[in-house]
Amino acid sequence: MKAISFENFSYAYPKSKVVLDKLCFDVKKGSFTAIVGPSGAGKTTLCMAAAGVVPHYFGGRSAGSVVVQGVRTMDSTMGELAKGVALVLEDYESQLVAMTVEEEVAFGLENACVDPKLISSMVQETLQLVGLAGREQQEVGGLSGGQKQRLALAGALVTKPEILILDEPASALDPEGAAELYGLLGRLNKQGMTIMVVEHEIARVLPHIDQLVLLLNGSIAVVDQPEAALRKMNAEGLFQEAIPPLLELRFLLEKSGCRFGTWRCEADAVRELSAALKEAEEVSQSA
Amino acid sequence: MNKLAPLTKLIFTVAVSVWAMLLTSLLGLGLLAVAQILLLAAVGLLKRTYKGILSLTFFAALLVLIQYALGSNLEAAVAGGLRMIDMATVFVILLATTKMQSLTTALVSQCHVPQEYAFMFTTALRFIPDFLAESKAVREAQACRGYTGKGSIVRRFTAYLALVGPLVLRAVSRSETMALSLELRGFGAGRRSFSKDVGLRLRDYCTLAGMVAVTAGFTAGRMIYGW
Amino acid sequence: MLEIKEVSYCYQQGKPVVDNVSLTVEPGEFVAIAGRNGSGKTTLTRLIMSLIKPANGQIMLNGVDTSRQSPGDIARHVGYVFQNPDSQIFRDTVASETAYGPEQLGFTAQEITASVAEALERTGLTALADAYPRNLSRGQKQRVAIASALAMKPDILILDEPTSGQDAAEKENLMRILTDLNGQGKTIILVTHDMDILARFTKRAVVMASGVKVFDGTVTELFGQNANVQKWGLREPAIMNVSRNLTKYGISPELTAAEFSRQIIGMLQGGRA
Repeated sequence: MKAISFENFSYAYPKSKVVLDKLCFDVKKGSFTAIVGPSGAGKTTLCMAAAGVVPHYFGGRSAGSVVVQGVRTMDSTMGELAKGVALVLEDYESQLVAMTVEEEVAFGLENACVDPKLISSMVQETLQLVGLAGREQQEVGGLSGGQKQRLALAGALVTKPEILILDEPASALDPEGAAELYGLLGRLNKQGMTIMVVEHEIARVLPHIDQLVLLLNGSIAVVDQPEAALRKMNAEGLFQEAIPPLLELRFLLEKSGCRFGTWRCEADAVRELSAALKEAEEVSQSA
Repeated sequence: MNKLAPLTKLIFTVAVSVWAMLLTSLLGLGLLAVAQILLLAAVGLLKRTYKGILSLTFFAALLVLIQYALGSNLEAAVAGGLRMIDMATVFVILLATTKMQSLTTALVSQCHVPQEYAFMFTTALRFIPDFLAESKAVREAQACRGYTGKGSIVRRFTAYLALVGPLVLRAVSRSETMALSLELRGFGAGRRSFSKDVGLRLRDYCTLAGMVAVTAGFTAGRMIYGW
Repeated sequence: MLEIKEVSYCYQQGKPVVDNVSLTVEPGEFVAIAGRNGSGKTTLTRLIMSLIKPANGQIMLNGVDTSRQSPGDIARHVGYVFQNPDSQIFRDTVASETAYGPEQLGFTAQEITASVAEALERTGLTALADAYPRNLSRGQKQRVAIASALAMKPDILILDEPTSGQDAAEKENLMRILTDLNGQGKTIILVTHDMDILARFTKRAVVMASGVKVFDGTVTELFGQNANVQKWGLREPAIMNVSRNLTKYGISPELTAAEFSRQIIGMLQGGRA
């Protein structure tokens, strides 16, 4: 079942050159996809295409299509698409529109004509989820950068979207905050939410994703399961700087003939290397 | 005052303006101003708002002096000044006793103001702290590059561009993102629900009735007694 | 030389944001200041630039007390690069933008041209000298901000999270530029919470937690203290974590993948001998 499908999709902003070039890939329902690539590769435009922002909001020229939940974005409106897809923009500060935290989270629900009696509890629940519990009456203007980013996420989550798209959602967070955020997204994904995220630090998302897409100059260079994708990036020298050190290590070891299972995080590596070293020790002892 | 519906308070604002126009005597206009100040004191908001009211009085006095200097008679000039104080003070009361969101809810659901216009105000207010923080950040960044803000008027004026430039660029970019964000969240697509309950209750109807009575009273007073 | 002596600062009454911190930075050092958001690391650098004045203590720059000086005065010796380059960019070309600082400091026209050219060269922006800054990428804009600071010819460069929001290639490029500048004698103070960058490029680390300086030493010493690193809101670099957990097999802790892989391969092949 495909949540989002890019079918030979190309796009150019008005009076500008082509930003996305014949994109062809799928995001399966319930998957967690990371989009990576250098600045200017078109990652933000890709996210906006999945939400119908492009071409509806910006105009411009497009070819091919993007199909979201069975509907071509071209044949729908942003309002309709917004019922199933939530997009959290990179500029989280300007995305917040209300005066208080409570109003901000309630905004999406009000727009969707949700019964006012239900709004308050839904808001509370969502604030709890993102770690802003109890802050309903606080003014948005007075929040820290990290809190604002979490508030923007809350505003998107409260409408219980089936598809969540985030453009660099952890940029204002320190490592602890980023780990918490991706932990939350991981949990939501296990509960069935389809998630697509643009992220510069692959190591942060690696424990949670099942698909990695590398975008270079508006085209898809790699789309595969995370480890296979990174392996290809390493082998063909594609945006190698982005390969997390852990996998850099793995690929170096593989060159010397070692073979390992899946490494999603440091613990996996420690376990497998321990086993390998122990074996080597035993072999040398018995020799 | 806090318990009245926003609509009632909006109507009150209009009513006071009508009364200020109906009354002609200095005593009447003066009493109206005093009554409003007492109202603010009664709800405990005078401390927060007195500075605003003082500046209003200052500007009104200025207005009176100018009018008098331009030839109108003193009584008419003072009446004009008092009217200004009356009509401006009621706005202070409105904004001090009503939450912004309740006000916009009332405007959109009861006065049928289009959503976009009503939200213009809340979003402008929402960005004031961000704008202040940004302006501080710009001042600091340029200060670290040697910006001093000293020198001749001309020099200072042209130098100011270093502060205004980034702010304007940033403001434009923000507003673009915000407009997009509103659409992404389904704003303006049609009907909406409202979290805040702004329905009219018994006390609102009583207050409205009271306002009608006062208006009738003032109208009669003016026609019969020349108030 | 920069000396911070027992400096404290509070925003309002209540907990100090910087609490009795002392720190000395010698010329030519490459120091990282790390800590979680809210630990006081950025506030410390703002105190150095005299954007805020310390409530207690003293900051001495080349032997002169900075409390009476303005940020503009200090800019002659210390260049500050803010986290968001959009807060300062306002001119139409990269070159004229870079020239702003030297103009304000009163350089002559010739000095300005020379200084701008050199700054653009060092940050790899010579080809973009006539570009419109607004259209540049985040990484390029950050380099413009660095060039703008360099053009004022400071001895010390302070950068607040300069790599945030940038892709991996831009980060590498930026850190290479800073390493080259350090090699040419500039003192670099880098506020960051990117542990991989800290591990690979800086030599000395200062850690702030709740306004207090809790660590000041080499990067290797820092990650030797792994229990505390977590407590201070820092993340151990992946390679360090893995190598540290394998010490019982005779592995010594490493910071880079290349070094570590050599060790492992050596161990495994030695074992099969």
